[in-house]
Amino acid sequence: MSDNEAQELVEIRKKLKTMLVENLSLEDVNPDDIKADEPLFGEGLGLDSLDAVEIVVMLQRNFGLEVKDMNKGREIFYSIDTLAKYVYDHTKASPES
Amino acid sequence: MKENDVLITGMGVICAAGSNLEEALTSLSVGKRNAGQVSLFETPLKYPVFEVKEIPGEFDLAGRRSLSLTLCAVCEALSMARLPADLSELRVGVCLGTTVASQLNGRQFYESYRRTGSASMLAVDRYLKGNLAEFISRRVRACGPYMTVVNACSSGSDAIGAASSWIKNGLCDIAIAGGADELSRISLSGFGSLGIVSPELCAPFDGNRKGLNLGEGAGVLVLESKSSAAKRGSATELYLAGYGSASDAYHLTAPRPDGLGLELSIKKALLASGIKPDAISFVNAHGTGTLDNDKVEGAVLESLFGKNIKFLSTKGFTGHTLGAAGGIEAVFTVAGLQEGWIPASAGFRNADQTLPIAPVRKKTIINGRYALSTSLAFGVSNAALVFAKSTN
Amino acid sequence: MNILGIGIVFARGSGINCYENALREGWQHPAEVNVSQAKDRRSSVYQVDLDRVKDKNLWKRLRRADKFSKMAVLAAASAVTNSAVLDIDKKRLGVIVASAFGPQVTTFDFLDGLLDYGEANVSPTIFSNSVHNAATSYVAEVLGVHGPCLTITQFQFSFQTALLMARVWLDEGRCDYCLVGAVDQYGEVLGYIQNHKLSLAKDGRIKPFNFKPTYQVPGEGSVFFLVSRNKTANVFCEIEHICFGKNGEDNNVTADLNIIDADGTLADESAYLSAISPEIPTAAYAPLFGSLMIGSAFNCTAGALMLKNQVYYKNPVTDNPQGINLLQDQGSSGIERISCIRYNCNAEAAVIHLKCV
Repeated sequence: MSDNEAQELVEIRKKLKTMLVENLSLEDVNPDDIKADEPLFGEGLGLDSLDAVEIVVMLQRNFGLEVKDMNKGREIFYSIDTLAKYVYDHTKASPES
Repeated sequence: MKENDVLITGMGVICAAGSNLEEALTSLSVGKRNAGQVSLFETPLKYPVFEVKEIPGEFDLAGRRSLSLTLCAVCEALSMARLPADLSELRVGVCLGTTVASQLNGRQFYESYRRTGSASMLAVDRYLKGNLAEFISRRVRACGPYMTVVNACSSGSDAIGAASSWIKNGLCDIAIAGGADELSRISLSGFGSLGIVSPELCAPFDGNRKGLNLGEGAGVLVLESKSSAAKRGSATELYLAGYGSASDAYHLTAPRPDGLGLELSIKKALLASGIKPDAISFVNAHGTGTLDNDKVEGAVLESLFGKNIKFLSTKGFTGHTLGAAGGIEAVFTVAGLQEGWIPASAGFRNADQTLPIAPVRKKTIINGRYALSTSLAFGVSNAALVFAKSTN
Repeated sequence: MNILGIGIVFARGSGINCYENALREGWQHPAEVNVSQAKDRRSSVYQVDLDRVKDKNLWKRLRRADKFSKMAVLAAASAVTNSAVLDIDKKRLGVIVASAFGPQVTTFDFLDGLLDYGEANVSPTIFSNSVHNAATSYVAEVLGVHGPCLTITQFQFSFQTALLMARVWLDEGRCDYCLVGAVDQYGEVLGYIQNHKLSLAKDGRIKPFNFKPTYQVPGEGSVFFLVSRNKTANVFCEIEHICFGKNGEDNNVTADLNIIDADGTLADESAYLSAISPEIPTAAYAPLFGSLMIGSAFNCTAGALMLKNQVYYKNPVTDNPQGINLLQDQGSSGIERISCIRYNCNAEAAVIHLKCV
């Protein structure tokens, strides 16, 4: 991972945390308190199926990304880390590909 | 039949399968599925939908589709019940379920207000004069109670249940009860955003099901006390034997995984009917074709009625008509008892290995006296109606 | 059917004590709100401040609920608490929620998303909240209700119809207790429509006894009753009858007080004159909570409090051009019966008869 990539991922994670708190009305949660590797659903942050589809819309509106297959969504939405990686990989202009 | 059971003296239906009961039953019998792309409004959404192709001219109130659909089904039901169009001389209640017809959701109206700060009151006036039960009650000059039920997808069933309570409690002698909904942009995009609309034709209880298709229509029963029917010289062998409803207390959009609310509602309806589960000859399931609904419902049906219960979802013929579903499915359930057959569960091909039961694959003869129709609503309500055919 | 507990949310706060204080204190000027689209950009509204009535524990379970649902849950939960009935079997508890307009503010939020982002890009959470039984769903979820649930949206007599259904359910044994309530929310678009169709009270005073012309100030809030066949030490009163009919024809019960729902939501409220008697004093409390199609629930609450406390609450606004027999003093005496009367635009009445227990 290049320094550049690492830096960008830090930015995306930060952005995603704020977005989650706002879009999912996580009233008592401070964005900084969300651990990047903790599960977003179930035990971790406690999100549910309705939050999952709300995250789909959040990614569409903010990053122009479409997650159609919710089975894939389950992996992508596992944690802030996986989500940030997905956003990074799919928004990064990659001239070589 | 118990002394205070409520008779069914009329039925009316309009949906993609047909503009009246006879037409619809023909489609069901031959397995015809009238789905296609949205034609009622322009939309980028490419989901198949079950639209009503034609509303008979005399019922078409321009720009008020849900009311037109309702009126069409109400008039068919009244005509079957041999009731006049003016009911002011009788004690008639109107109890109808809907989702769309209760909302002030005119896109053009709101777009104009948002842009300019003013908007034509046409849409508002239609809305204010278009509350479903209020409108129909005035239209047929009913003088009993009226109620517009908005229990989301169980609205139609709950409206029928509530109306039967009115009759049993002497609040009216006759009730027009059921549900109606038009296909709307709001429902289509909203259900789409929930990720539960299938890009293909729906396949309730199928192992490869991908979600629901939306539809539209209306289904209406005329419920009547025995004494009122006798006074009018109206004979029928069909009646509503029991109604049960219970809440999941679980989640705004997801059904409770253990199906507790559905189970309670069915048990209540059976208890009210005074019958055991094995008296049920078939179940017209809610069967939307979504992963969660069919999974929960299949498990509950198996636990209560065993592996061999005959059941189907008619949503493969109508789409999910939301507030109308309970009404339309009540009509099909009663028709199943009356006609002595139920159609193949449309869209079902491959069994779901995780489900203990599967719906009927072909047109099936029904000999029993009792049938169950279930509705599961988004959010809260589960409703169960037991219909019956008397032997005498 | 007895009212065992009442929960209420309105412009001045939440809880039955807060409402009782308002009844004692009398009229207050409504708040002025900004209306982004209106020409003069300000309008009078009896608006609920959610931050002021916030219940931390409830809010935690309602993170994505809209204001409409939050008001309903707050009122429903506080009705149960207020009743002090502790042993309710949740399978034997029903919920009936009545509204005239449903969560219309959220419907417009949804339309905002649809117009701004397109039909393939709308918020599922906002959609779910815009479904008319969302408030009922939250009430059932938060209170763990497994009995029957019903949501009614209609313009005319929705609260009275809800009470009637509750009575039917109790009579049939569908439940032992029922939370029956009403909720409606103010919104800019609804305000625009109201101002278009009706006359806004420029001075902020709803004059219930003016009858024609009428003046309204939009209100919002929620009221829930916990009703049952059972009686408790805390009982407010009995709901003896709920009658519907032309000119309240079934209304042959003699009351000590008539409370009328006149509030300016009809352009002509002269029909109320036919229900008013020179012998029976008349009261109307809409100036405390605003003009609302479900205002009956708030007036009925005033009646229930009077029967429980055996105290009359004075009329908040007493303009009386017709010279009718108004309830004048805040006094007390043996109050046996109170009738709460509402008329619709077709001069049909619905009357809730309350009786002391």
